[in-house]
Amino acid sequence: MKKFLLLAMAALVAFPMTAFAASSEEAMMAELQKQIADLSEELEELSDRLDGPERHSALDRIEFSGDLRSKAHSIHYQDVTFNPGINVDFQDFFEKLAPATQPNPEFPNGLPTWQLGPLGGFVGFNPMNPDFQDANGAAVMDGIADFGQGLTPVEMASLNTSALDSMFANLYNTNPTLYNDLLTNFGMWAGPGGMQGAGVGAFPMALQPETYDINNDILYSTRLRLNMNAKVWDNVKFAGRLVMFKNWGDSTGSKVFDSWNAFTMDGTNSGSTSGDWLRVDRAYFDWSNIADSGFYVSIGRRPSTYGPPTHFRENELRGGTPTGNVMNLNFDGITIGRNIEDWTGIEGMVARFCYGQGFESEWGNGELFNELDKIKDTHFAGFNLDLYNDGTNFLQATAFTAQSINDGFKGTIAFPNQYAALFAPTLNKDIQKFPNFNFVTRVQPSTEIGDMNLAGLVFSREEENGINWFTSGGWTQMRPNGDAGMFGGMGTDAVFKAQLSSDGTEVMMVPDTAGEDKNRNGYGFYAGVQVPAPKGKVGLEYNYGSKYWTPFTQAQDDVVGSKLATRGHVGEAYYIVDVNPRMSIKLSGIYYDFEYTGSGSPVGKPKDIDDVKDGKEYSLLPAIDTAYDLNATVTVQF
Amino acid sequence: MKKFVKPLLFLTLAVFIATSAMAAEGGNPRKGKHLFKKTCKSCHSADGAGGEVTPMTKTQAQWDRLFKKKKHDEEAWKNLSEQDLKDVQQFLYDHAADSPQPQTCG
Repeated sequence: MKKFLLLAMAALVAFPMTAFAASSEEAMMAELQKQIADLSEELEELSDRLDGPERHSALDRIEFSGDLRSKAHSIHYQDVTFNPGINVDFQDFFEKLAPATQPNPEFPNGLPTWQLGPLGGFVGFNPMNPDFQDANGAAVMDGIADFGQGLTPVEMASLNTSALDSMFANLYNTNPTLYNDLLTNFGMWAGPGGMQGAGVGAFPMALQPETYDINNDILYSTRLRLNMNAKVWDNVKFAGRLVMFKNWGDSTGSKVFDSWNAFTMDGTNSGSTSGDWLRVDRAYFDWSNIADSGFYVSIGRRPSTYGPPTHFRENELRGGTPTGNVMNLNFDGITIGRNIEDWTGIEGMVARFCYGQGFESEWGNGELFNELDKIKDTHFAGFNLDLYNDGTNFLQATAFTAQSINDGFKGTIAFPNQYAALFAPTLNKDIQKFPNFNFVTRVQPSTEIGDMNLAGLVFSREEENGINWFTSGGWTQMRPNGDAGMFGGMGTDAVFKAQLSSDGTEVMMVPDTAGEDKNRNGYGFYAGVQVPAPKGKVGLEYNYGSKYWTPFTQAQDDVVGSKLATRGHVGEAYYIVDVNPRMSIKLSGIYYDFEYTGSGSPVGKPKDIDDVKDGKEYSLLPAIDTAYDLNATVTVQF
Repeated sequence: MKKFVKPLLFLTLAVFIATSAMAAEGGNPRKGKHLFKKTCKSCHSADGAGGEVTPMTKTQAQWDRLFKKKKHDEEAWKNLSEQDLKDVQQFLYDHAADSPQPQTCG
């Protein structure tokens, strides 16, 4: 516009007016003046029109972009085994039981009322003769525990079953083999020279292991991600992402607890289906080049998921900062970093120090009741180094420590009614009438269990011919502190001790200590390749995790569980069709071969899956042997 | 079956080639990055004569328009061949403001 005006003005100035006769001169003047007037009017109109976009640009501060992913899975689990059991301190149990097996001097006439001990006494149930009559009172053994041996009908009528009566009668009725073993062991312990060394032993909670296959023929999910970017100032910007991740037909926001993946919790919100609401996956500011030092500070909900090399299978560029095979979790924290290419001369070198708090132990946990001395804030801190990055080769290392990890996180679950049958007989009495009503409960950990150290290294390369490949390794170290909650301590199970409930009506088993407190090292390996194929690319990936491999990758959105957290082997093959630069279709198959239980969690002792299947080991959560997930995805970016 | 193999192979190849998303036909973005650093950065830095320019300075469409119309000081471009320009264009296009970006803090 400016040019046109200048040309017009120049033409006016350069025009040799004297070369023409007076009348044509006047006509030309008039014509030029008209043109100037027209130009001025147009300029004014343009200025008015520009006013709108300028206002819009100043007030509409957030740049939105995003992607929508629809996925269909067919998931099949082979040999899932439920064989619950706990470790009990039998030495302690027998010591507490012993007084209750002695005759009570106040009742010398053979009434079956024993001496009271720490667990109370036997009142109506005689463990030495549990089954002495049938339902009609005749002296016939019918395999069902009886009460009131040696009592008159009047005495029977005023009988109040004690906690030990209920415990032993229940055991006799449900598992007579275990009942007899228990009595035999107690007898041996109580006999001459046996009153120590009963030790810690397994206490099965099911008659035998239950092994079954599960087929989820079709599961659909939808994920919507909205990226937000905004300029705060010349060297300060805001970035964030909102995520909706749900499976079709479900917006409850909670899952029945059957594995560590069933929690709805802060750290896995972006990778765990919840419902048709948007959660904040990341939200942080970057304050760059502070005081011309080159350093930047970033605070907020971190871009800590989909880090290298996990972005290849997503068909995206690097999706987060830290090495994805050890850290793939949502958390809030602070990063201080600097591009140090100018210091080291190494291309693409960036050093970052990252800190986050993964668990708040006081606020929101009932701190005003002052009963929270066992759980602690969980802090983690470490370094993330992009060691080399020239657009073709990428080398990165991450190393961090997590201090004061507890036996769980804060989250919500739907209570599994199967647990009421095992652990909560009073609750079970009523809840069994509503097998499909699972009350939603907020869960928080019960105790600190130790610290962990983690490190990961990744190298990836994009070849000229279009082949991309990567390899990565990781190390995790558990450092338990000897404490344990119901599901265990760090890398170990809890030892339970018998205790009378507060109202004296029930003998409960409560977790007392960890079975062991040895430091444990775990190792993981993850590699893959992408090869150009008709209309897109074909990918192959493999990862392995050792017995104690425990990375923080639980936010991976694999339905069976974070594939990188698997204690065992996982293979994935996929074919991505790039429909256009902003749309792709992916067909994939993932095969999981679990070798140990507890993948993805530092709580509990990893058990050999084969031992759980054979009944030699117990696991409070169902243990998966193998599983495969066939899925098809279509993703559009906008 | 045999008579379908040749045309099928050709079709597959053609489809594969056809779906490459390049702004400049035959532009190599890696060479372009190297050329940009070597030739352009001297002028297009914060205190340079051309003012700071990074790939994020323009959108993909804006870069294409600039190179199509050759809207640039000719003297500065005199040592760049046609292929060099394609390479630089592809690099700038691939990392433009509205291109996919790696997501990290900082």
